[in-house]
Amino acid sequence: MTTNTTQQTVAKKAEAMVIRPHVDIYENQAGATLYADLPGVAKDKLSIDIDENVLTVKGEVSHRIPDAYKAAHNDIHVNRFERRFTLGDELDNERVEANLKQGVLTLFIPRAERHKPRKIDVKVA
Amino acid sequence: MISNMLRFPLANFPFHAFDALEQGMNAHFPYDVAQRLSRTEASYPPVNMGTTNNSVELSFFIAGLDTDSLNIMLEKNVLSVSGERKLPDVANDEQNKGTYYRQERFGGRFKRVITLPEDVDTEHAEASYQEGILQISIAKRAEAQPRQISVAVQ
Repeated sequence: MTTNTTQQTVAKKAEAMVIRPHVDIYENQAGATLYADLPGVAKDKLSIDIDENVLTVKGEVSHRIPDAYKAAHNDIHVNRFERRFTLGDELDNERVEANLKQGVLTLFIPRAERHKPRKIDVKVA
Repeated sequence: MISNMLRFPLANFPFHAFDALEQGMNAHFPYDVAQRLSRTEASYPPVNMGTTNNSVELSFFIAGLDTDSLNIMLEKNVLSVSGERKLPDVANDEQNKGTYYRQERFGGRFKRVITLPEDVDTEHAEASYQEGILQISIAKRAEAQPRQISVAVQ
């Protein structure tokens, strides 16, 4: 009985376990750039989703395992990446550019036009 | 006072609400698996290793690697993998001047030395790099491979 419950708990935890990818976030006047390390994630196993102002990045490591493979040492135990971010109103969620290259995701979200710094000319009468 | 001044610039940046959300999320993940993807030089890059009937297989998780910088050495059953991962130098670009809000990704030189679990044939090793994974496959020495012995019936 106890063992069964423990097994169920372990199974549940394994299902919920994901790797939070390491990210760099860089911001300037043009917008925000997010770099995320997703080694092993191919384009068709990557999903980027924006719901309201929550950005979700998910990826699955598709990795060929050879026949009769026996693991000897694992630094990575889970094959799913997932992380969420809240985007500020200053960003234009409609115009997101995404690029995936050798496991590095680069996401650029431009600043909304109304939030870009403007230069106001003053007419001298 | 000084800390207030240092904190001030962040308030202007669009991602600032995101810490609060992340704290809330940790409650759902009892183990912080990301810690295994440590930034420190000693444990970068993370590696998975295993064996098949006739080879030792290693997968190094190195996203965005310039393979020209890669150096793989095999001596007896000790494998060393070193290289450099360069991150884009945007902060020094006058045109794009801005601020890093988060810097978690590993940048710079790395080296990992790994003792293989079996005797290997150093002449028969292959390496390939795809989607951010460096895959190294090294043949086991003939003596270390399982051998089927047939019995001749007389």
